[in-house]
Formats: sequence, C-alpha cells, structure tokens
Amino acid sequence: MQRRARYTLDKAFTGLGTASVLIMAIVLLVLLVPITWRGCQAFIFRGTYFFRQMQKVEFDRGNTARLDKQRDQFLAAMAPAWGMINEFEAELKEMPRKDRKKYKANFRETKKAFEAVFGPLPDEKTPILPRSQYGQTRWDRANVKFESLYFREMWDYNTPTGQGVQLLLPRDKDFAGTKLEPLFDYVKLNLSKIMQPEVTFYWQFLVDKSIDSHFFGGIGPEVLGTIYLTIGAILFAVPIGITAAVYLCEFARPGSVLSLIRTCVNTLAGVPSIVFGLFGLAFFLNSLHVSQSKSVLAGALTLALMVLPTIIRATEEAIRAVPHSYKEASLGLGASHGWAVLTVILPAALPGIMTGIVLSMGRAAGETAPIIFTAAVSLGAAPKIMQVFSEPTPALSWNIYNLCTEHEAVNEIRHVQYGMVLALIVLVLALNMAAIVIRARISKKLKG
Amino acid sequence: MRKLILGLAAAALLTVQANAETKIVCEGSSTVGPLAKAFAEYFMKNNPDVSVSVSESGSGNGAKAIINGTCDVADMSRGMKAKEFKACADKGIMPTPHVVALDGIAVVVHKSNPVKGLSLEQIRDIYTGKIKNWKDVGGVDMPIVVITRDTNSGTFETFENLVMSKQKMSDSCEVVGSNGQAKSRVESTPSAVAFVGLGFVEGVKAIDVNGIEANLETIQAGTYPIARPLFMYTNGSPKMGTPLYRFITLYLTEPGQEMVEEIGFIPVTSY
Repeated sequence: MQRRARYTLDKAFTGLGTASVLIMAIVLLVLLVPITWRGCQAFIFRGTYFFRQMQKVEFDRGNTARLDKQRDQFLAAMAPAWGMINEFEAELKEMPRKDRKKYKANFRETKKAFEAVFGPLPDEKTPILPRSQYGQTRWDRANVKFESLYFREMWDYNTPTGQGVQLLLPRDKDFAGTKLEPLFDYVKLNLSKIMQPEVTFYWQFLVDKSIDSHFFGGIGPEVLGTIYLTIGAILFAVPIGITAAVYLCEFARPGSVLSLIRTCVNTLAGVPSIVFGLFGLAFFLNSLHVSQSKSVLAGALTLALMVLPTIIRATEEAIRAVPHSYKEASLGLGASHGWAVLTVILPAALPGIMTGIVLSMGRAAGETAPIIFTAAVSLGAAPKIMQVFSEPTPALSWNIYNLCTEHEAVNEIRHVQYGMVLALIVLVLALNMAAIVIRARISKKLKG
Repeated sequence: MRKLILGLAAAALLTVQANAETKIVCEGSSTVGPLAKAFAEYFMKNNPDVSVSVSESGSGNGAKAIINGTCDVADMSRGMKAKEFKACADKGIMPTPHVVALDGIAVVVHKSNPVKGLSLEQIRDIYTGKIKNWKDVGGVDMPIVVITRDTNSGTFETFENLVMSKQKMSDSCEVVGSNGQAKSRVESTPSAVAFVGLGFVEGVKAIDVNGIEANLETIQAGTYPIARPLFMYTNGSPKMGTPLYRFITLYLTEPGQEMVEEIGFIPVTSY
C-alpha cells in the first residue's frame, strides 16, 4: 500500500514537472512568435516608391537610373489625379457661394488625406517635417491611409442608446457630379502603379539613425547605446565583483562581519532596479558630478551597481566549487596564497564566473529603470566612443517604453517599436550565445 | 599586426579630437517633447557638429534638471514656480524663459461619445467627482472614466489652475504618466475623458469648452479658456552665435514656426 502511494506520488510529480515545462514552452512560443513575426516586419516589408525616394534623399542609397525610371512612372500615374484636384479647385472657385461652402471643409479634409498617402501636391511648398514630405513608405500603411482617403469617417449619434456608431461613407458620393468624383476610383485602380510596392529587405534599420522621431530611418543610435551601456556596466562591475568575491571566499576571516557583508550583498541583489536608478541620479549625477548631464558613464556605473551582487554571488559559488585539493596542491608546491588564487583557483572557476557575467550582461542590456534618470534620452545622436563620458544616449529598452507611451503618433510606427523589441531580444540572445561559446571553449581548454 | 592596431587607435583618437562636438541636452515636458524632437533633428541636420538630445520626463523633472545643472534646455509646459526660481537662484542659475509655442489643453473623449461640448464648470464637476455619469451632461448612460495626469506634469498643473479653481480632484481619477498614454487610454475606452496638449488629439475627439472649439484662431485670440504658453528655459540668455543660441531661437525662424504648426501647436507669431 505504502509502496503504491509512493509510486503514485512519484508519477504525479513527474507529470507536474512535464506540465510546467510544457506551459513554459507554450508561453515562450506565444511570446516569441508574435514578437519575431512583427519585429521582422520592420526589416522585411513591401516598400513603396516613397521609401526608395526617402532612402535616396536621406541616406543616398539606391540606383539613380532606376529611381529616375520609377519617378517617371510615378509622375505619369499621378498626373491625372493632380489634374483632377486642380480642375476641381478651379470649379470650386466658380461655384455659387452656397455650393462652395458645402464642399469646402470636406475638400480640405480630402486633400489632407490625399497628401497623407501620396505626398504633398507638386505646386505646394515642401513641408518642413520629413513625415509630411513623403507619402506612405510602406505598402501596408499606404493601404490603411488609402482607406481614410476613400472613405470619410463619420460618427452617427442617432442610435437608440445615443452611443455613436462609426460610419464609413465613400467620398466619391460626397463629390458626386463634380470634377473630383472620378479621382477616388482612379487612385483606387492605380494605387499599386503609383506606389510601386517592392519587397524590401531593410537591414540598415539596425544601423540607420532615426529620421523625424522614428517616422523613418532606423534604430542605430539605440542599438549602439545599449551596447555601450552593457559593456560599460560589465567593465566596471567585473573587476570589482571578482575581487570582492575572492576576498570574501579566500581572505576574509569567517565571523559575524563576513556574514553581515554577505547579507548585504544578498539584499542588494533584491533591491528593485528603480531604486538603483534614483540612487544613480542622486549619487553619480547630483553629488559626484561624474558628468554634466545624463551620460553613458553615469548609466553604466548605475547598471554596474545593479549587476554587482549577481557577479559576486556567481563568482563565490564558482570559487567554492573548485576542489580543495587544487589549492592544497598549489600551496604544497610552494605558492603563496595570493598566487594560488590567481593561477589555480580563478582559472578553474572561470566557467562559473563567465556564467555570472553572461547573466549580468543580459540584465544590464534589458533594464530600463536604472537608465531613465542617468543615461537614456528619447532622441539623440549615437555618441562616439570618446563622448561616452559626457553624453547621454538613446537605448533600446527605454525607447521601446518611450515609443509606446509618449510618442505622439504611436499607431503609425508600431513596426519600429516591434523592430526595437526584436533587436533587443536578439542582442541579449547573441550576448548569451557568445558567452556560452566562450565558456565551453575555456572548459575544454582547462580539461586539457 | 600590433602596429596596425596602434595606428588605427591613433587615427580614431585624432578624428575624435578633430570634430570636438558641442552638445545640447533638453529635458522635461512630454507636451513640448514632439516639438523639441523636431527642432533637435532639424538643427542636427543643419549643424552636424552639434549633438542635441531630448528626453521627455515631465515639466517638473525639467525644472529639477536645470536646477541641478544637468540640462541646457528645460522644456516646460508651465511657467516656473516661485519655489523653483528660488532653488535656481540659490545655485546661481538664472532661468530664462523662451515661449516657443502656444497650446490649448484639449478635453478629449472617445469618438463614439455624443457629447459635443462641456462648460468649465461641468469639467470641474467631472474631475471633482460630482458628476459621475455621462447622462448628466447630455451623453449616454454610462459612468465616466476620468483620466488625469501625474503631479509632475505641467499639463496637469495648468489644468488645475485654469479649471479646478482650488478644488481637489477626486481620488477615483485614474493617473497616467504622459500625454500619449492619456490619449491612448481614451482611444480605447468609450466612456473616458482626459486632457492633453493639442498635439495629441489625433484619433480622439476634442470637445468644445464653454462652447469654444480649440483651434488656432481661438487660442491666439485668447478666447479658448484652457490655453497656455509652452516654454523652453535656459540658464541666462545664451551667448549670441553659440549653438545653444541658434537652437533656442529656432522657434523664431520660419521653419521653426512651420514645425510648431505641423505638429499641431500654435505658433507665437503669425508670420
């Protein structure tokens, strides 16, 4: 009986374990698949004529002869549409005042919707912001915007509850009988001829600077900023962390002081990251003045503090895992304690230490709170290597948050946001992969 | 190999020193944010040797940053308070305001909401919790979800000054951290009401206040009741000809005014 109970319990435990692994896998899938799918759309999408124009103007990319050919096609296809608008404007001027009033507001709105899809009209002054200098650069966005040109959105409040219902009224009905009426069907038929969508692989998204607060361009400064911050944090945290761990393990006298220090380190590991952020602001920026404004340096120092406990603990564990006989043999051969630590214990513990560093790098790259007040800005050029001591930087984690909460046109640039998320995840994965490879190599070398 | 690396490092150092850059750090209001970002990118395009960075953390943080000397330009959607002025003066900083644009605080609701306009008093009653249902102001029978901003926000303080007239907002208001968040909250909630800068009304319905629509004419004329200037503060007037001077006077130029208008704010002059 007892044996059977034990058997059942055993089975139940195995089942539970399998189930939790399965749930984790499903959660990962549910999380990663949409992120990857939508993130990839920032890199691979159907770019329109305007995308290639924008690339030529802003980054000087693309084949001029081919672009000129496309421009001719664009102009030829647009000419009738522009003609219709001009004719209607002339017609509008001739109309009796009452009729003119009927069309005026709607026409203004229509023109705005038209320019949102196809860029500014040829006889108009070039707008100052790049976002209104070009039409839609992506085919998917072009279709969305075309909808709001073709249909006029209206809210009907004459419902039983009084709650408004959205009505989509075709605009050609609004302008029935005028010279503008054929415009809508014309652009509908010729949309792809005008926009000339082509499948585009925009890998430069990773290195380009943003144009007009992320409306166009890429996420280069963010990626570079994240790399700077991560490397900076590790540069500060690793030497201090390893020294501290070696001292705690090998040299400190066991007693109440040591256990107090250990408790402190453990507590530090549990402190929320926003506290580190505020501390970094108060200590590094407002008291020490490590830089005049927010800077990569201040952010890296703050991140270093945050990952320090992880590194100390991982190093301690790794040192403790080194067989005692190693140290004894080394001391027996006449090495001093310090020399033994440096030449025998640390190299043997290196794979474990590397694991700690890997985990910390991933965390430093992904954390937002510590850099809000110390390093991150929502817009800025990527600092060059010598400027990291004085200049703030955009960073992936912070800019993802900034885009979805503070950007004025977040719905238009969702693809940028997902592109950033994907870039961050891939960056962290790549860091981990690199470190795993390094770790495996060192282990192999140590085994001889 | 080693020589090559050394040579490369030396070359890198030299190039870095050759274009020693100046930097301009802007910090503060999320309302002024889009404007500062547009200015920054326009400025960097025309002055490649200057790097401008912008962060949006609220007017209060902008003031704090200029007090601590950690920014060159403090974007603020409200004027500096006496207390902040004093803190500046104590540190030997002379905050100098530049009014870069005018802005109306739009009261926004979901597009399906039939309410066309509210009086200042009705808005106040909604925020104090006296009016709890849309049917009391001519809308549908549904409870009002009231969205407000954090106290760090300049938009919040202007709203409190101009609308609340010393009355306390109800505790049941939902607090969000930025204009963008307030807008997207209203966009997804049919029964919500919020207040945002004029640059953030895309996708929601801005209602009339006291029967007056928020637009260029009413705000320039001063008839729209919840309007305010948007500021950029610098420490003293920047020396003429310096990059900071050119940046901070960008709003006076024609491109600057055009950017203000395209983003949805009201230019200070009619050029």
